Amino acid sequence: MMELAQRHRLSQLVEELTTSGQPQLNQDKMKEIKKICKISNNCIDHMYHLVMAQLGQEHSEIRLSAFQIASELFSRSHYFRTLLVDNFKGFLELTIETDSDQPLPPPKEVARKLRSLAIATMQSWQASYGTAYKKLALGYHFLKQVKKVDFHDTEARTVAERRREDERQRKLERIYRERVEAASRDMEESHQEIEATLTQMESCMRLLSPEFDLTDMQTMHNSTLDDEQPCCSKDLKSDRQEGGQPDVEKSGTGEKRRRLEDEREEEKRRLEAKDGEETEKEFDKGQGNKGEEEKESCDEEGPYEEDLFIRNSGLISHAYNLDLNFTPGIHLKETEDNEAVVSTLIDLYRMITTKHLPVVQGWIQVFTKARAEQQLLRKALDLKRSLEAAQQKHNELHIDYKARVRRVVKASSDLEDNDDDNDFDEVPEKEGYEPNIPEHLRVEYGLDLSPSTSAATVTRKPPAKVAVPLPQSSSFASVGHLKQLTEEEQDPTCAAATFRLLRQNLPQPADSSSDTGPSSAQKSANAPVVPFGLDLYYWGQEQPNAGKIIKAASQHQFWVPCEVEEEVENEQLLAESRSRYISFPGIFIPVSHYCKAPLGDGRLCHRQDRLKCPFHGPIIPRDQEGLPCRQEDRVIEERREKRRREEQPDWRDTALMRDIEVTTGQNLGSDRVAKKGKGKKKFPNLSDLKQRANTPRSRLQRKVFNQSTVRRVAQVMSKADQKKHDKFSNQFNYALN
Amino acid sequence: MLGFLTARQAGLDDPLRLRRAESTRRVLSLSLNPDRDVDRIHGNGINTIDIDVIEGRYMLSGGADGVIVVYDLENYSGKPQYTCKAVCTVGRSSKYVHKFSVETVQWYPYDTGMFVSSSFDKTMKVWDTETLKPAEVFEFEGNVYSHHLSPIARKHSLIAVGTKNPKIQLCDLKSGSKIHVLQGHRAEVLSVRWSPRYEHILATASADSKVKVWDVRRASGSLLTLDQHSGDKSKASSEAVNTAHNGRVNGLCFTGDGLYLLTTGTDDRMRLWNSATGENTLVNYGKVCNESRKRLQFTVSRGCSPEFVFVPCGSSIAVYALHTGELVTMLRGHYSNVDCCEFHPDYQEMYSGGKDCNILAWVPVLRSLEVEEKSDSENTAVADAGQSSGNPAFQDAWSSDED
Repeated sequence: MMELAQRHRLSQLVEELTTSGQPQLNQDKMKEIKKICKISNNCIDHMYHLVMAQLGQEHSEIRLSAFQIASELFSRSHYFRTLLVDNFKGFLELTIETDSDQPLPPPKEVARKLRSLAIATMQSWQASYGTAYKKLALGYHFLKQVKKVDFHDTEARTVAERRREDERQRKLERIYRERVEAASRDMEESHQEIEATLTQMESCMRLLSPEFDLTDMQTMHNSTLDDEQPCCSKDLKSDRQEGGQPDVEKSGTGEKRRRLEDEREEEKRRLEAKDGEETEKEFDKGQGNKGEEEKESCDEEGPYEEDLFIRNSGLISHAYNLDLNFTPGIHLKETEDNEAVVSTLIDLYRMITTKHLPVVQGWIQVFTKARAEQQLLRKALDLKRSLEAAQQKHNELHIDYKARVRRVVKASSDLEDNDDDNDFDEVPEKEGYEPNIPEHLRVEYGLDLSPSTSAATVTRKPPAKVAVPLPQSSSFASVGHLKQLTEEEQDPTCAAATFRLLRQNLPQPADSSSDTGPSSAQKSANAPVVPFGLDLYYWGQEQPNAGKIIKAASQHQFWVPCEVEEEVENEQLLAESRSRYISFPGIFIPVSHYCKAPLGDGRLCHRQDRLKCPFHGPIIPRDQEGLPCRQEDRVIEERREKRRREEQPDWRDTALMRDIEVTTGQNLGSDRVAKKGKGKKKFPNLSDLKQRANTPRSRLQRKVFNQSTVRRVAQVMSKADQKKHDKFSNQFNYALN
Repeated sequence: MLGFLTARQAGLDDPLRLRRAESTRRVLSLSLNPDRDVDRIHGNGINTIDIDVIEGRYMLSGGADGVIVVYDLENYSGKPQYTCKAVCTVGRSSKYVHKFSVETVQWYPYDTGMFVSSSFDKTMKVWDTETLKPAEVFEFEGNVYSHHLSPIARKHSLIAVGTKNPKIQLCDLKSGSKIHVLQGHRAEVLSVRWSPRYEHILATASADSKVKVWDVRRASGSLLTLDQHSGDKSKASSEAVNTAHNGRVNGLCFTGDGLYLLTTGTDDRMRLWNSATGENTLVNYGKVCNESRKRLQFTVSRGCSPEFVFVPCGSSIAVYALHTGELVTMLRGHYSNVDCCEFHPDYQEMYSGGKDCNILAWVPVLRSLEVEEKSDSENTAVADAGQSSGNPAFQDAWSSDED
């Protein structure tokens, strides 16, 4: 009776100890175990079996604890030692992983710990008991000589692992050394350059800063205004910059003057340049077909009228609120005087941000990773610090970029073409003529108003009308726009320039095409462009042998059946040679509506699906709050909501409920709800192996290799097979299966 | 024991009876003994061992790295503690060493001045023990799995050789040539054994799951083919006719008197056959784990009243009663698969070699030690009792603070 109680207690203790998940054993429980084991060998026997059973568990934490119990008992009981040594091979397999077919179970880090602990323990056992227990000594030698376990290696790695590690380390070192060498060489080379850049930047800034003191406050102020405009009036601003900025008025007149000069010099080019909306508008007016064009011009004139208003009233807008945010610091406005300096400065700045700084950062990374000499690292860090300081300084200057861009374009027309190279990256890079610029990109290319076929525009243009230089009276929009166009054409890097050049070089087609009138022009504009084909090749011709097939009924030399129709008419073939399929998939209309279903956090769903939102079902009209507009939709929605609530009552959060129960002492039924979900874990202290396996791969695996899925796929496949079988059942390889 | 002795003194008993009883007792008490060790020479698995039959003093071992070692088993020191010394070695540095794994070694049955070894390097070498040089080298087309010299032959000196080739080669030591070929198997021959009773009788086991018994004087064919169903056609499926096992047959061993033949196969069975009639005795040994793709060397005790079979079974050695098939004990001590074991008939000792590079000596436990152990285990109940005369490592060490 006594025995039974002790056994029971032992099992209980071992279970508790091994499933605690702790790296160390609970000393009290261990003491109790020892006390029981001391009583008789039977207990030890039972204990041995318990420990071995726990060692066989597929969980390293259990094994670790069981091993610790075993090592406690091993040092105390001879009987336990004999039992364990008797099955020492199995013991080693379960703790030191001597059999590669039985690797230690997860979690990995615990398994590693178990292994190293077991090896260390083995060493001490061998020292104290090796002579007395033959098998222990044999096992030790086996580990040492066959498994090549190094008992002095704290990591307790196998030889192969150690070698691999060494190899890797050496390789890494070599790579790092090479990198450090390369980096230091690079640094030597470009150190001078960076220093030079920094010095230049410094001097540039020194040049600019005193200038800031001299500039009148007004310019400063204006530039500030420009900068701080709210973003919604951006287009306004840009337009104003072109045309009617009070500050730039002077330069605007300068431009006009320049244009007059240009006119004289290159009249012909100017004629060409007046393309686009101006000519178009004139033409359309002439034809009386105003329609869309008129609207367009209205749209464009809108902001300019506003601009006029601003000019007249001195206010920026009727409605706009203007937030002026005066940041303390320097704001540098670029003028004609400091232009060169600023452009150099910007170049230098760009050089620093895009080239030097990343390179220096790369060096620092390499040096820190490879643990290079302090000197190199310090040098690199110094460089980086000075570069960053320069950057910071530049940022503090607040130089106005956009104004400058425009200026440089202008400057290029003012015979400063050699400076163009500074701004290559500002302009989209295009080389040569691109015959088919897509419609939506035309504005970007500065061709916003030319219709789809450029030839039509050229031909339609009556030269006499355009020859008149633009009067002041014409709308600001056209002036501004035209100016922009001409500016862009001056710029050889712009597509507009290429376009113009081509137009110049193109031979003027006969005037007859202009007689065809707008209808044909429009038709040609709307007509689809199709690739060349046989039907076009034979356009309007009668094909003598289209659709005829020569039939060779008999291959025999002289035996010919009596009535042989050599040629057969094929209607289909005939039709094919004269017709063409043009597929018309329709025009893409972007979705403009939102799902607008209410979300949990009070916002509305912002998905723009055409018909059905993947989260909220079919898209139905909804009001501001996200409630459906139509009654029947509302009913459906409510029903769905009700069903959802029934399935998972949201106030019945189990954790919350348990908390409430604990505080109030009333049973709200949290256990019932919890039971519906997940059962309680058996051993909450052990790390969960299954949770570790919750990777995307495993989740996918669960889905893909799901029994029902597999069955469904197999069904579909066999159905497909069946179909094939029906179709080709007279062929031998299908008839067979 | 005393009863046997008095009966022997009085002449009541057959002298053999005492001897048999004592040797049986000794075999039953075989265990690993810390007093007996064998030098660790091999750096690789041990495939085969052989003890000479004349003196029973020298043991040959062949390793998977081609090394052959000769051990001296005799303990002349007078102390129980003894390590079997390696007398001489054909190591990797020797220019005559086998290139690949040595599969079989065997002493010349009449003289330890000569031994024969065969290897996977497709050669069989006849060595001079004194000079450790091969006196003769036989070369074959395939890997040599096994060879055997008849232990009792007086009229011939033939070595039967089983190779990858299904034909069994007979090599004559007198002429130094391959003189004869026995045809009949369809797959590689994994084991060959001469009968210890009739010098012309040879048994061969092959991977085609057949075991054939030959009379080498008859060239035309085998004497008989062992059939696991003893000719009962109804039990045998068409392809299992005349097969000894349902897998490769890789072990073959005659009993000491040559009346019975034991075979093991990869179907995890061991069978006992009447070697005269070829009849399956249907002794059930249960499952005998056997995964070896090569020859398995197992042995039978000699001079015991019920004889015992020692057969490697995974990493342990199973001891069966020969005629009842009862599993007597499992000898555990190796840490990897056991490939060979050999019984020493004079001292009832057993030697085994395995893939863990160890040769273990299984020595009968002396009775006195048993008594001592018993008293020792009695002592375990007494905490911290240091009065036991045994090794202090055998004592318990319960600390007093656990009370």
